[in-house]
Amino acid sequence: MATETLHLPTQSLPVASDQKMAVSSRANAPQSGNIHPFEFTGSAGEYFRIWMVNLFLTIVTGGIYAAWAKVRTRRYLYTHTRLDGQAFEYTAKPTAILKGNLIVGAGVVLYFLIDLYWPTYNLITILALYLVMPLLIYKSLRFNTRYSSFRNIRFQFMGSLKESYKTYLGLPLLIPLTLGIIIPYWAYRRKKYFFDNMAFGVSGATFKGAAGHFYKIYGLILILAVSLVFLYMIGFGLLISQLQGTMKSMDGFGTSIVYAIMIGYFLVLLVITFMQQYLYVRENNYCWNETNLGELRFQSSLKVGKLLVIRLTNLLAIVVSLGLLIPWAKIRRTRYILENLNIITSSSLDEFTAAIEPDESALGEVAADFFDFEVGL
Amino acid sequence: MIRFQATYFDGQTSKAQAVVVGYDGQHLSLHSADGNIQLRYFLKECVITPASGHAPRIIKLPDNQQFESGDLNAVAALEVEAGGNRGMRAVHWLESHWKPVAGCLAGAMLCVWAFIVHAIPFLAEKAADAIPPEITRTVSHKTLSVLDKRFFEPSELSAEKKTDIQNLFQTIADALQVDFQYQLAFRRSPQIGPNAFALPAGIIVITDEIVELAANERELASILAHEIAHVEKRHGLRSMLQHAGVFFVVSVLAGDITSITSTAGTLPTILVESGYSRRFETEADEFAGRFLIGQGWGTQPLQDMLQRLAASHPDFPSLTWLSSHPDIQQRIENLRKLEHSHIP
Repeated sequence: MATETLHLPTQSLPVASDQKMAVSSRANAPQSGNIHPFEFTGSAGEYFRIWMVNLFLTIVTGGIYAAWAKVRTRRYLYTHTRLDGQAFEYTAKPTAILKGNLIVGAGVVLYFLIDLYWPTYNLITILALYLVMPLLIYKSLRFNTRYSSFRNIRFQFMGSLKESYKTYLGLPLLIPLTLGIIIPYWAYRRKKYFFDNMAFGVSGATFKGAAGHFYKIYGLILILAVSLVFLYMIGFGLLISQLQGTMKSMDGFGTSIVYAIMIGYFLVLLVITFMQQYLYVRENNYCWNETNLGELRFQSSLKVGKLLVIRLTNLLAIVVSLGLLIPWAKIRRTRYILENLNIITSSSLDEFTAAIEPDESALGEVAADFFDFEVGL
Repeated sequence: MIRFQATYFDGQTSKAQAVVVGYDGQHLSLHSADGNIQLRYFLKECVITPASGHAPRIIKLPDNQQFESGDLNAVAALEVEAGGNRGMRAVHWLESHWKPVAGCLAGAMLCVWAFIVHAIPFLAEKAADAIPPEITRTVSHKTLSVLDKRFFEPSELSAEKKTDIQNLFQTIADALQVDFQYQLAFRRSPQIGPNAFALPAGIIVITDEIVELAANERELASILAHEIAHVEKRHGLRSMLQHAGVFFVVSVLAGDITSITSTAGTLPTILVESGYSRRFETEADEFAGRFLIGQGWGTQPLQDMLQRLAASHPDFPSLTWLSSHPDIQQRIENLRKLEHSHIP
């Protein structure tokens, strides 16, 4: 959820687009430090082959292989992401993901059975889903960070379950009561839950972002959306009056309306895509730029226009190729996002320390294994 | 003897240290140039993590230590020495060659095709049999009330005419020895025009317009028999379940794109489903045709009725590839063939 499309540790650890902010915080920092860019060495051809083999084996095994497929996909993306010459690593076991898939699968089957046989209890199942959602989010964040590492040091997620319930159950309940005014604040809290609780070894991250900035981002989106809807309605009205004036036959009028609706549909799609990319870029840049890991800082400089062009051409390529270019599209987007992420540090990357594993006993391992599962969110 | 360059990490700190790795047939040894690192383990104590693309390989050592090497050939040779990891090595081989990948693409398409053409209709039929009649009844009544609100007005047929049709229907049902409790529903619908529908629980809706369109009782009988076939063969429920099945397959396959371009997902769904309903229409025509032949009328009444329906919907033939009814001429041709096959 917090980490939308990609599940890279890097992406799981996001930086922001606001160039001004980045400049000012750099000016305030005691030392400017060395800039280490993230590199992405994945290739579309290789990723396509992995994707195709995954698809085939998943179908042939009736979905069981999906867990292995997920691990292979993530390992590919992680190991081809490099920082200062070293690659990231994804170490999760497919069996833990299989367990998560089975739990979700059982839930979906249960939901459909209840929907079919006892439709009146439908609401209860939806309510139950809301109640477990924060737990699942918490579990997934822990899982994905715990099994991400760099230079043989694991990442960790330090957030508490209680905080997850506050963020993902408590706050959304307040949205209707506050007429949606707290939506940007909610976005801020979700980002904070993630960025403020990340840790690399024993070094915990701190997120200095403020809710005010999210109000700016969402405010701009709202103004944009309202003015576009307004323009759209005016345009449509003009078009219709124009057509009524010129078209003599009802048939011609009908076809023109169909075209107008189709064009309108694509415009709406365009606007929605724009807003999604805008939100992603602004939030992502801001969050990374406001996050510290010890004295190490992040810098993300994504551009809305570039990401929008990538998204639109990706969509076009996917539709035209009947889905075969999905891997190419994903590699392209991932490359752009990662290659605009840097870390800035005055000391070397050699000095991070691993956290001491809390319980090395066999029982502890078994229990940890049993309760570890990943739920795709 | 295998020797290669690698980077060592002790698992305590993030410090990267250059080492030379050697394998003597039994032990894996690591040495740094400054002599600070001198390690030796049995190869079987070490875990060679599976290859991924052209990324450097990672080998796990005891006590949370590991090393990373970009010398892919050397690590592959080491992997062969170590044995094991066969499944993932096979997967990596598949992933590294275009020909097997093309095979996977063809295989995946074949599986999806087989699933859509064979498995979904089969499963839907089994599931339709398992659904309790009460649920079918509730669903049917709900559907009818929705249709009533949106498309239908009360019938304007005379009470006499209705009784005639009821009696005709009873004769057909008796002749066919049907299982269901049938109920005829008369409706007027200027919006839809001449048409008839069957709801899963045995409710058959006929519009005043189709009653008027029918030239004689036999033509009307052919339509009623066609609708009875839909109910007897549970076409309504089956198509609902098939719809769910196709929706599932399409959303699994197009998972990545459906959120943004739901239209891209609907088109294949429509195409697949028009194929399914074509099959059901053909089946119902055949059922009605056999009934008509059994009555000694031949399939002509249904043929005429179809011809008339096509004429009353001028845009009908041009839409066939998307429409739920197969090409009218094709259906008429099928009925002719059916009749010929019954003539001794």
